[in-house]
Amino acid sequence: MIVPEGILCSKSHEYLLEESETEFVIGLTDYAVEQLGDIVFVELPEVGTEYSKGEVFATVESVKAASEIYMPVGGKIIEVNEKIVESPEILNESPFEEGWLVKIESADAHAESGDLLEYSDYKEELE
Amino acid sequence: MGKRTVLYNKHTALGARMVEFGGWDMPVQYTGIIEEHKTVRSFAGVFDVSHMGQIFVSGKQSVDFLQSIVPQDISKLKLLKAEYCQLPQTDGGLVDDLIIYRLEEDNFLVIANAANIQKDFDWLKANIKNFDVTIDNKSQDYSMLALQGPKAANIVEKLGLSIENQPAFFTIKDFNIDGLNGYISRTGYTGEDGFEFIVKNEYAAILWDMIFKAGEQFNVKPIGLGARDTLRLEAALMLYGNDLTEKTTPVEAGLKWSIPVEKIPDYNGKDVILGQIKNGVQKKLIGFVMTDRAIPRHEYDIYFNGHKTGVVTSGGYSPTLDKNIGMGYVDTKDNITLDATIEIMVRNKLYKAKVVKRPFVAKKYKIS
Repeated sequence: MIVPEGILCSKSHEYLLEESETEFVIGLTDYAVEQLGDIVFVELPEVGTEYSKGEVFATVESVKAASEIYMPVGGKIIEVNEKIVESPEILNESPFEEGWLVKIESADAHAESGDLLEYSDYKEELE
Repeated sequence: MGKRTVLYNKHTALGARMVEFGGWDMPVQYTGIIEEHKTVRSFAGVFDVSHMGQIFVSGKQSVDFLQSIVPQDISKLKLLKAEYCQLPQTDGGLVDDLIIYRLEEDNFLVIANAANIQKDFDWLKANIKNFDVTIDNKSQDYSMLALQGPKAANIVEKLGLSIENQPAFFTIKDFNIDGLNGYISRTGYTGEDGFEFIVKNEYAAILWDMIFKAGEQFNVKPIGLGARDTLRLEAALMLYGNDLTEKTTPVEAGLKWSIPVEKIPDYNGKDVILGQIKNGVQKKLIGFVMTDRAIPRHEYDIYFNGHKTGVVTSGGYSPTLDKNIGMGYVDTKDNITLDATIEIMVRNKLYKAKVVKRPFVAKKYKIS
Protein backbone atom coordinates (compact mmCIF):
# COMPACT_ATOMS: atom_id res chain seq x y z
CA MET A 1 0.00 0.00 0.00
CA ILE A 2 1.30 3.42 -0.95
CA VAL A 3 0.18 6.34 1.16
CA PRO A 4 -0.18 9.33 -1.16
CA GLU A 5 2.04 12.21 -0.30
CA GLY A 6 0.40 15.24 1.23
CA ILE A 7 -2.81 13.66 2.46
CA LEU A 8 -4.48 15.20 5.49
CA CYS A 9 -6.43 13.07 7.95
CA SER A 10 -9.33 13.89 10.23
CA LYS A 11 -9.89 12.61 13.75
CA SER A 12 -12.86 10.68 12.38
CA HIS A 13 -10.48 8.91 9.94
CA GLU A 14 -11.34 10.50 6.60
CA TYR A 15 -8.48 11.63 4.40
CA LEU A 16 -8.32 14.63 2.08
CA LEU A 17 -6.03 14.62 -0.94
CA GLU A 18 -5.46 17.72 -3.02
CA GLU A 19 -5.74 17.17 -6.77
CA SER A 20 -5.69 20.80 -7.81
CA GLU A 21 -6.13 24.16 -6.12
CA THR A 22 -9.91 23.59 -5.76
CA GLU A 23 -10.41 19.85 -6.30
CA PHE A 24 -9.92 17.19 -3.63
CA VAL A 25 -10.36 13.45 -3.13
CA ILE A 26 -11.97 12.17 0.08
CA GLY A 27 -11.57 8.64 1.35
CA LEU A 28 -11.12 6.55 4.47
CA THR A 29 -7.71 5.94 5.98
CA ASP A 30 -6.09 2.50 6.09
CA TYR A 31 -6.61 2.52 9.84
CA ALA A 32 -10.34 3.20 9.42
CA VAL A 33 -10.94 0.36 6.96
CA GLU A 34 -8.91 -2.02 9.07
CA GLN A 35 -10.96 -1.15 12.15
CA LEU A 36 -14.23 -1.51 10.26
CA GLY A 37 -13.30 -4.99 9.02
CA ASP A 38 -14.97 -6.48 5.95
CA ILE A 39 -16.85 -3.64 4.22
CA VAL A 40 -19.98 -4.92 2.47
CA PHE A 41 -21.97 -1.81 1.64
CA VAL A 42 -21.30 1.80 0.62
CA GLU A 43 -23.83 4.57 0.17
CA LEU A 44 -22.51 7.63 -1.64
CA PRO A 45 -24.09 11.06 -2.18
CA GLU A 46 -25.46 12.48 -5.43
CA VAL A 47 -23.10 14.45 -7.61
CA GLY A 48 -23.81 18.15 -7.21
CA THR A 49 -24.78 18.01 -3.53
CA GLU A 50 -23.06 20.52 -1.28
CA TYR A 51 -21.99 19.70 2.25
CA SER A 52 -20.42 21.72 5.02
CA LYS A 53 -17.43 20.56 6.98
CA GLY A 54 -18.44 17.89 9.52
CA GLU A 55 -21.66 16.92 7.73
CA VAL A 56 -22.45 13.26 7.03
CA PHE A 57 -22.12 12.64 3.28
CA ALA A 58 -21.81 8.84 3.05
CA THR A 59 -22.39 5.62 4.95
CA VAL A 60 -20.06 2.66 5.00
CA GLU A 61 -21.23 -0.64 6.44
CA SER A 62 -19.09 -3.51 7.60
CA VAL A 63 -20.49 -6.92 8.49
CA LYS A 64 -20.86 -5.68 12.06
CA ALA A 65 -22.19 -2.14 11.79
CA ALA A 66 -23.05 0.98 9.80
CA SER A 67 -20.70 3.98 10.07
CA GLU A 68 -21.38 7.54 9.02
CA ILE A 69 -18.67 9.35 7.08
CA TYR A 70 -18.07 13.07 7.62
CA MET A 71 -16.82 15.81 5.32
CA PRO A 72 -13.27 16.76 6.40
CA VAL A 73 -13.88 20.15 4.72
CA GLY A 74 -16.92 21.69 3.08
CA GLY A 75 -17.51 21.39 -0.64
CA LYS A 76 -19.57 20.22 -3.61
CA ILE A 77 -19.54 16.58 -4.77
CA ILE A 78 -18.23 16.46 -8.34
CA GLU A 79 -17.59 12.72 -8.72
CA VAL A 80 -18.38 9.54 -6.77
CA ASN A 81 -16.52 6.24 -6.97
CA GLU A 82 -19.19 3.96 -8.50
CA LYS A 83 -16.75 1.05 -8.45
CA ILE A 84 -16.88 0.74 -4.66
CA VAL A 85 -20.68 0.67 -4.68
CA GLU A 86 -20.49 -2.48 -6.82
CA SER A 87 -17.47 -3.93 -4.99
CA PRO A 88 -17.24 -2.50 -1.46
CA GLU A 89 -14.31 -4.81 -0.62
CA ILE A 90 -12.10 -2.46 -2.68
CA LEU A 91 -12.18 -0.13 0.33
CA ASN A 92 -10.43 -2.76 2.45
CA GLU A 93 -7.99 -3.70 -0.31
CA SER A 94 -6.96 -0.26 -1.50
CA PRO A 95 -8.20 2.62 0.65
CA PHE A 96 -5.91 5.23 -0.93
CA GLU A 97 -5.86 4.25 -4.60
CA GLU A 98 -8.86 2.29 -5.88
CA GLY A 99 -11.03 2.77 -2.79
CA TRP A 100 -11.52 6.54 -2.67
CA LEU A 101 -15.07 7.74 -1.91
CA VAL A 102 -15.78 11.06 -3.61
CA LYS A 103 -14.15 14.01 -5.34
CA ILE A 104 -15.19 17.48 -4.27
CA GLU A 105 -14.79 21.02 -5.42
CA SER A 106 -14.01 23.31 -2.54
CA ALA A 107 -12.98 26.91 -2.34
CA ASP A 108 -12.68 26.77 1.46
CA ALA A 109 -10.63 23.59 1.83
CA HIS A 110 -7.42 25.38 2.72
CA ALA A 111 -9.15 27.60 5.25
CA GLU A 112 -11.01 24.67 6.81
CA SER A 113 -8.25 22.09 6.98
CA GLY A 114 -6.50 23.55 10.01
CA ASP A 115 -7.58 20.72 12.33
CA LEU A 116 -6.56 17.97 9.90
CA LEU A 117 -3.33 16.09 10.54
CA GLU A 118 -0.53 15.05 8.24
CA TYR A 119 -0.44 11.27 7.86
CA SER A 120 2.61 10.77 10.09
CA ASP A 121 1.08 12.86 12.88
CA TYR A 122 -2.24 11.08 12.43
CA LYS A 123 -0.52 7.70 12.82
CA GLU A 124 1.31 8.94 15.88
CA GLU A 125 -1.95 10.13 17.40
CA LEU A 126 -3.37 6.61 17.00
CA GLU A 127 -0.59 5.00 19.03
CA MET B 1 -12.92 -4.20 31.16
CA GLY B 2 -15.06 -7.31 31.02
CA LYS B 3 -14.54 -10.80 32.39
CA ARG B 4 -12.00 -12.99 30.62
CA THR B 5 -12.24 -16.63 29.66
CA VAL B 6 -9.20 -18.78 30.42
CA LEU B 7 -8.38 -18.63 26.70
CA TYR B 8 -8.04 -14.83 26.65
CA ASN B 9 -4.27 -14.95 26.09
CA LYS B 10 -4.67 -17.45 23.24
CA HIS B 11 -6.96 -14.99 21.47
CA THR B 12 -4.72 -11.96 21.87
CA ALA B 13 -1.66 -13.99 20.80
CA LEU B 14 -3.55 -14.91 17.62
CA GLY B 15 -4.14 -11.20 16.97
CA ALA B 16 -7.86 -11.29 17.69
CA ARG B 17 -9.78 -8.06 18.02
CA MET B 18 -11.45 -8.18 21.42
CA VAL B 19 -14.85 -6.67 22.17
CA GLU B 20 -17.18 -6.58 25.13
CA PHE B 21 -20.07 -9.06 24.86
CA GLY B 22 -22.50 -9.84 27.66
CA GLY B 23 -19.98 -8.61 30.22
CA TRP B 24 -17.09 -10.56 28.71
CA ASP B 25 -14.04 -9.57 26.66
CA MET B 26 -14.41 -11.87 23.67
CA PRO B 27 -12.72 -12.19 20.25
CA VAL B 28 -14.97 -10.65 17.58
CA GLN B 29 -12.62 -11.65 14.75
CA TYR B 30 -9.14 -13.03 14.13
CA THR B 31 -8.55 -12.43 10.41
CA GLY B 32 -11.93 -11.23 9.11
CA ILE B 33 -15.57 -12.13 9.64
CA ILE B 34 -16.31 -13.20 6.05
CA GLU B 35 -13.21 -15.39 5.80
CA GLU B 36 -13.95 -17.00 9.17
CA HIS B 37 -17.59 -17.53 8.20
CA LYS B 38 -16.56 -19.31 4.99
CA THR B 39 -14.03 -21.45 6.86
CA VAL B 40 -16.82 -22.83 9.06
CA ARG B 41 -19.10 -23.50 6.07
CA SER B 42 -16.31 -25.20 4.07
CA PHE B 43 -13.95 -26.74 6.63
CA ALA B 44 -14.16 -26.28 10.39
CA GLY B 45 -13.78 -23.57 13.00
CA VAL B 46 -13.21 -23.41 16.74
CA PHE B 47 -15.11 -20.97 18.94
CA ASP B 48 -14.35 -20.12 22.55
CA VAL B 49 -17.83 -20.06 24.07
CA SER B 50 -16.65 -20.24 27.67
CA HIS B 51 -18.72 -17.18 28.45
CA MET B 52 -21.83 -19.36 28.31
CA GLY B 53 -23.22 -20.69 31.58
CA GLN B 54 -23.36 -24.21 33.02
CA ILE B 55 -26.02 -24.71 35.67
CA PHE B 56 -26.54 -28.20 37.09
CA VAL B 57 -29.97 -29.25 38.32
CA SER B 58 -30.01 -32.47 40.33
CA GLY B 59 -32.02 -34.25 42.97
CA LYS B 60 -35.01 -36.55 43.32
CA GLN B 61 -37.47 -34.02 41.90
CA SER B 62 -35.30 -32.47 39.20
CA VAL B 63 -37.67 -33.66 36.46
CA ASP B 64 -40.73 -32.24 38.24
CA PHE B 65 -38.88 -28.99 38.87
CA LEU B 66 -37.78 -28.57 35.25
CA GLN B 67 -41.27 -29.55 34.10
CA SER B 68 -42.59 -26.55 36.05
CA ILE B 69 -40.33 -23.99 34.36
CA VAL B 70 -40.02 -24.98 30.67
CA PRO B 71 -42.73 -25.73 28.06
CA GLN B 72 -40.82 -28.82 26.87
CA ASP B 73 -41.60 -32.27 28.26
CA ILE B 74 -38.49 -33.08 30.27
CA SER B 75 -39.99 -36.38 31.49
CA LYS B 76 -39.58 -37.63 27.92
CA LEU B 77 -36.00 -36.47 27.55
CA LYS B 78 -33.87 -39.61 27.21
CA LEU B 79 -30.63 -40.12 29.04
CA LEU B 80 -27.73 -38.22 27.38
CA LYS B 81 -30.10 -36.41 25.03
CA ALA B 82 -30.25 -32.63 24.62
CA GLU B 83 -33.33 -30.49 24.20
CA TYR B 84 -33.77 -26.91 23.03
CA CYS B 85 -35.88 -25.22 25.74
CA GLN B 86 -37.20 -21.84 26.74
CA LEU B 87 -37.60 -20.29 30.17
CA PRO B 88 -40.89 -18.37 30.11
CA GLN B 89 -42.26 -15.91 32.64
CA THR B 90 -45.92 -16.33 33.64
CA ASP B 91 -46.88 -13.91 30.82
CA GLY B 92 -45.06 -16.08 28.26
CA GLY B 93 -42.20 -13.60 27.72
CA LEU B 94 -38.80 -15.26 27.89
CA VAL B 95 -36.19 -15.10 30.63
CA ASP B 96 -33.82 -16.99 28.32
CA ASP B 97 -33.54 -19.84 25.85
CA LEU B 98 -31.54 -22.88 26.91
CA ILE B 99 -30.11 -26.23 25.96
CA ILE B 100 -30.87 -28.85 28.62
CA TYR B 101 -28.90 -32.12 28.72
CA ARG B 102 -30.00 -35.14 30.72
CA LEU B 103 -26.68 -36.37 32.13
CA GLU B 104 -28.22 -38.87 34.55
CA GLU B 105 -31.74 -39.85 35.52
CA ASP B 106 -31.83 -37.01 38.07
CA ASN B 107 -28.98 -34.78 36.91
CA PHE B 108 -29.39 -32.15 34.21
CA LEU B 109 -26.98 -29.69 32.66
CA VAL B 110 -28.53 -26.37 31.67
CA ILE B 111 -26.61 -24.16 29.22
CA ALA B 112 -27.49 -20.49 29.69
CA ASN B 113 -26.67 -17.46 27.56
CA ALA B 114 -23.65 -15.51 28.82
CA ALA B 115 -25.50 -12.31 29.67
CA ASN B 116 -28.26 -14.25 31.46
CA ILE B 117 -26.35 -16.63 33.73
CA GLN B 118 -27.10 -14.82 36.99
CA LYS B 119 -30.65 -13.98 35.88
CA ASP B 120 -31.37 -17.61 35.01
CA PHE B 121 -29.79 -18.90 38.21
CA ASP B 122 -31.88 -16.47 40.27
CA TRP B 123 -34.98 -17.46 38.27
CA LEU B 124 -34.37 -21.16 38.87
CA LYS B 125 -33.86 -20.59 42.61
CA ALA B 126 -36.97 -18.40 42.85
CA ASN B 127 -38.99 -21.23 41.26
CA ILE B 128 -37.76 -24.06 43.52
CA LYS B 129 -40.92 -23.95 45.68
CA ASN B 130 -40.99 -27.29 47.55
CA PHE B 131 -39.17 -29.31 44.94
CA ASP B 132 -36.38 -31.50 46.23
CA VAL B 133 -33.62 -30.21 43.91
CA THR B 134 -30.14 -28.78 44.06
CA ILE B 135 -29.24 -25.96 41.68
CA ASP B 136 -25.53 -25.43 41.13
CA ASN B 137 -24.18 -22.59 39.03
CA LYS B 138 -20.82 -24.02 37.90
CA SER B 139 -20.24 -21.49 35.11
CA GLN B 140 -17.05 -20.25 36.77
CA ASP B 141 -15.51 -23.73 36.73
CA TYR B 142 -16.20 -24.71 33.15
CA SER B 143 -14.96 -23.67 29.74
CA MET B 144 -16.70 -24.48 26.50
CA LEU B 145 -15.26 -24.89 22.99
CA ALA B 146 -17.40 -25.30 19.90
CA LEU B 147 -15.93 -27.13 16.89
CA GLN B 148 -18.21 -26.58 13.89
CA GLY B 149 -18.14 -27.34 10.20
CA PRO B 150 -18.18 -30.21 7.69
CA LYS B 151 -14.73 -31.38 8.87
CA ALA B 152 -15.58 -31.31 12.58
CA ALA B 153 -16.23 -35.06 12.82
CA ASN B 154 -12.91 -35.81 11.09
CA ILE B 155 -11.08 -33.65 13.60
CA VAL B 156 -12.81 -35.30 16.55
CA GLU B 157 -11.83 -38.66 15.07
CA LYS B 158 -8.23 -37.48 14.82
CA LEU B 159 -8.47 -36.46 18.50
CA GLY B 160 -9.10 -40.13 19.28
CA LEU B 161 -12.87 -40.47 19.17
CA SER B 162 -13.82 -42.73 16.26
CA ILE B 163 -16.82 -41.75 14.15
CA GLU B 164 -18.89 -44.59 15.71
CA ASN B 165 -18.03 -43.38 19.19
CA GLN B 166 -18.97 -39.78 18.58
CA PRO B 167 -22.20 -38.52 20.13
CA ALA B 168 -25.18 -38.48 17.75
CA PHE B 169 -27.03 -35.25 16.90
CA PHE B 170 -28.31 -33.51 20.05
CA THR B 171 -26.72 -35.98 22.46
CA ILE B 172 -23.88 -35.65 24.94
CA LYS B 173 -21.32 -38.08 26.34
CA ASP B 174 -18.25 -38.17 28.55
CA PHE B 175 -14.91 -38.17 26.82
CA ASN B 176 -11.42 -38.90 28.04
CA ILE B 177 -8.40 -38.27 25.84
CA ASP B 178 -5.19 -39.15 27.66
CA GLY B 179 -6.63 -38.07 30.99
CA LEU B 180 -8.21 -34.90 29.62
CA ASN B 181 -11.88 -35.43 30.36
CA GLY B 182 -15.16 -33.64 30.05
CA TYR B 183 -18.35 -33.70 28.03
CA ILE B 184 -18.72 -33.66 24.27
CA SER B 185 -22.07 -32.95 22.64
CA ARG B 186 -23.27 -32.85 19.03
CA THR B 187 -24.70 -29.36 19.18
CA GLY B 188 -23.82 -25.88 18.00
CA TYR B 189 -24.98 -22.51 16.78
CA THR B 190 -23.94 -22.41 13.13
CA GLY B 191 -26.29 -24.73 11.22
CA GLU B 192 -23.30 -27.01 10.49
CA ASP B 193 -22.50 -30.42 11.88
CA GLY B 194 -20.36 -29.93 14.93
CA PHE B 195 -19.53 -30.48 18.56
CA GLU B 196 -19.31 -28.61 21.81
CA PHE B 197 -16.76 -29.57 24.43
CA ILE B 198 -17.52 -28.71 28.05
CA VAL B 199 -14.43 -29.07 30.22
CA LYS B 200 -13.04 -27.85 33.52
CA ASN B 201 -11.13 -24.58 33.08
CA GLU B 202 -7.74 -26.21 33.65
CA TYR B 203 -8.20 -28.34 30.51
CA ALA B 204 -9.40 -25.61 28.16
CA ALA B 205 -6.03 -24.38 26.85
CA ILE B 206 -4.73 -27.95 26.35
CA LEU B 207 -7.89 -28.93 24.47
CA TRP B 208 -7.69 -25.75 22.36
CA ASP B 209 -4.14 -26.68 21.28
CA MET B 210 -5.09 -30.32 20.69
CA ILE B 211 -7.97 -29.36 18.41
CA PHE B 212 -5.76 -27.10 16.30
CA LYS B 213 -3.09 -29.78 16.03
CA ALA B 214 -5.62 -32.46 15.05
CA GLY B 215 -7.39 -30.05 12.73
CA GLU B 216 -4.39 -28.60 10.93
CA GLN B 217 -4.77 -30.89 7.89
CA PHE B 218 -8.47 -29.98 7.74
CA ASN B 219 -7.80 -26.25 7.63
CA VAL B 220 -9.36 -25.59 11.07
CA LYS B 221 -9.25 -21.92 12.16
CA PRO B 222 -10.26 -19.93 15.25
CA ILE B 223 -13.58 -18.13 14.74
CA GLY B 224 -14.78 -14.99 16.51
CA LEU B 225 -18.18 -13.81 17.65
CA GLY B 226 -18.64 -11.79 14.45
CA ALA B 227 -18.84 -14.92 12.30
CA ARG B 228 -20.74 -16.75 15.04
CA ASP B 229 -23.49 -14.15 14.55
CA THR B 230 -23.54 -14.28 10.72
CA LEU B 231 -23.52 -18.10 10.81
CA ARG B 232 -26.40 -18.37 13.28
CA LEU B 233 -28.38 -15.72 11.38
CA GLU B 234 -28.11 -17.70 8.12
CA ALA B 235 -29.35 -20.75 10.03
CA ALA B 236 -32.13 -18.53 11.54
CA LEU B 237 -31.14 -19.54 15.07
CA MET B 238 -32.51 -17.27 17.77
CA LEU B 239 -30.29 -14.75 19.56
CA TYR B 240 -31.56 -13.91 23.03
CA GLY B 241 -31.66 -10.14 23.51
CA ASN B 242 -32.51 -9.65 19.81
CA ASP B 243 -34.99 -12.22 18.51
CA LEU B 244 -36.09 -13.40 21.94
CA THR B 245 -36.73 -11.11 24.90
CA GLU B 246 -38.91 -10.81 27.98
CA LYS B 247 -41.47 -9.24 25.62
CA THR B 248 -41.67 -12.12 23.14
CA THR B 249 -43.22 -15.54 23.62
CA PRO B 250 -41.89 -18.74 22.02
CA VAL B 251 -45.06 -18.98 19.91
CA GLU B 252 -44.53 -15.47 18.52
CA ALA B 253 -40.93 -16.43 17.80
CA GLY B 254 -42.05 -19.37 15.67
CA LEU B 255 -40.82 -21.95 18.19
CA LYS B 256 -44.13 -23.81 18.31
CA TRP B 257 -42.33 -26.90 16.93
CA SER B 258 -40.45 -27.15 20.23
CA ILE B 259 -43.58 -27.07 22.43
CA PRO B 260 -45.59 -30.25 23.07
CA VAL B 261 -49.23 -29.18 23.48
CA GLU B 262 -50.07 -32.52 25.13
CA LYS B 263 -47.64 -31.98 28.03
CA ILE B 264 -49.66 -32.37 31.24
CA PRO B 265 -47.78 -30.66 34.12
CA ASP B 266 -48.21 -26.94 34.58
CA TYR B 267 -45.35 -24.58 33.78
CA ASN B 268 -44.81 -20.83 33.89
CA GLY B 269 -46.68 -19.20 31.04
CA LYS B 270 -48.55 -22.35 30.03
CA ASP B 271 -51.95 -20.60 29.72
CA VAL B 272 -50.55 -17.85 27.51
CA ILE B 273 -48.45 -20.19 25.37
CA LEU B 274 -51.19 -22.77 24.77
CA GLY B 275 -53.70 -19.96 24.25
CA GLN B 276 -51.48 -18.49 21.53
CA ILE B 277 -50.99 -21.87 19.88
CA LYS B 278 -54.78 -22.31 19.81
CA ASN B 279 -55.96 -18.77 19.04
CA GLY B 280 -53.02 -17.23 17.24
CA VAL B 281 -50.64 -14.39 18.02
CA GLN B 282 -50.60 -10.62 17.48
CA LYS B 283 -47.06 -10.53 16.20
CA LYS B 284 -44.93 -13.17 14.56
CA LEU B 285 -41.33 -13.60 13.55
CA ILE B 286 -40.56 -13.60 9.83
CA GLY B 287 -37.42 -13.94 7.74
CA PHE B 288 -36.68 -11.72 4.77
CA VAL B 289 -34.11 -11.09 2.04
CA MET B 290 -33.48 -7.54 0.85
CA THR B 291 -34.32 -7.01 -2.81
CA ASP B 292 -33.22 -3.36 -2.71
CA ARG B 293 -29.64 -2.50 -1.86
CA ALA B 294 -29.53 -1.88 1.90
CA ILE B 295 -28.53 -3.74 5.04
CA PRO B 296 -31.27 -4.37 7.63
CA ARG B 297 -30.12 -4.12 11.24
CA HIS B 298 -31.43 -4.71 14.76
CA GLU B 299 -34.22 -2.24 15.66
CA TYR B 300 -34.85 -0.88 12.16
CA ASP B 301 -38.58 -0.51 11.45
CA ILE B 302 -40.48 -2.84 9.11
CA TYR B 303 -43.18 -1.36 6.86
CA PHE B 304 -45.99 -3.02 4.93
CA ASN B 305 -48.28 -1.22 2.48
CA GLY B 306 -47.01 2.14 3.69
CA HIS B 307 -47.49 1.67 7.43
CA LYS B 308 -45.21 0.39 10.18
CA THR B 309 -45.86 -3.26 10.96
CA GLY B 310 -42.91 -4.24 13.12
CA VAL B 311 -39.22 -4.17 13.92
CA VAL B 312 -36.10 -5.98 12.71
CA THR B 313 -34.57 -8.09 15.49
CA SER B 314 -31.52 -9.45 13.63
CA GLY B 315 -30.12 -8.49 10.28
CA GLY B 316 -26.99 -8.22 8.24
CA TYR B 317 -24.90 -9.42 5.35
CA SER B 318 -25.01 -13.13 4.54
CA PRO B 319 -21.57 -14.22 3.27
CA THR B 320 -22.97 -17.54 1.97
CA LEU B 321 -25.76 -15.96 -0.09
CA ASP B 322 -24.00 -12.65 -0.78
CA LYS B 323 -27.32 -11.00 0.09
CA ASN B 324 -28.62 -8.95 2.98
CA ILE B 325 -30.99 -10.87 5.23
CA GLY B 326 -32.94 -10.31 8.39
CA MET B 327 -35.57 -11.46 10.85
CA GLY B 328 -38.14 -9.40 12.68
CA TYR B 329 -41.58 -9.30 14.19
CA VAL B 330 -44.57 -8.12 12.14
CA ASP B 331 -48.20 -7.50 13.02
CA THR B 332 -50.23 -10.62 12.19
CA LYS B 333 -53.19 -8.37 11.23
CA ASP B 334 -51.23 -7.44 8.11
CA ASN B 335 -51.37 -11.10 7.07
CA ILE B 336 -47.80 -11.05 5.73
CA THR B 337 -47.06 -14.38 4.06
CA LEU B 338 -44.18 -15.96 2.16
CA ASP B 339 -43.07 -13.98 -0.90
CA ALA B 340 -44.83 -10.83 0.35
CA THR B 341 -42.99 -7.56 -0.21
CA ILE B 342 -42.18 -5.59 2.92
CA GLU B 343 -40.00 -2.52 3.37
CA ILE B 344 -37.25 -1.75 5.83
CA MET B 345 -36.60 1.81 7.00
CA VAL B 346 -32.88 2.47 6.67
CA ARG B 347 -31.65 6.00 7.42
CA ASN B 348 -35.11 7.47 6.80
CA LYS B 349 -35.64 5.72 3.48
CA LEU B 350 -37.68 2.62 2.69
CA TYR B 351 -36.02 -0.33 0.96
CA LYS B 352 -37.85 -3.40 -0.36
CA ALA B 353 -37.43 -6.93 0.96
CA LYS B 354 -39.11 -10.25 0.27
CA VAL B 355 -40.44 -12.55 2.97
CA VAL B 356 -38.72 -15.95 2.72
CA LYS B 357 -38.62 -19.29 4.51
CA ARG B 358 -36.21 -19.75 7.38
CA PRO B 359 -33.48 -20.92 7.60
CA PHE B 360 -31.86 -18.77 4.93
CA VAL B 361 -29.13 -21.38 4.44
CA ALA B 362 -30.02 -25.07 4.82
CA LYS B 363 -28.81 -26.74 8.00
CA LYS B 364 -26.33 -29.56 7.54
CA TYR B 365 -26.79 -31.51 10.75
CA LYS B 366 -25.78 -35.19 10.71
CA ILE B 367 -29.06 -36.68 11.86
CA SER B 368 -28.61 -40.43 11.92
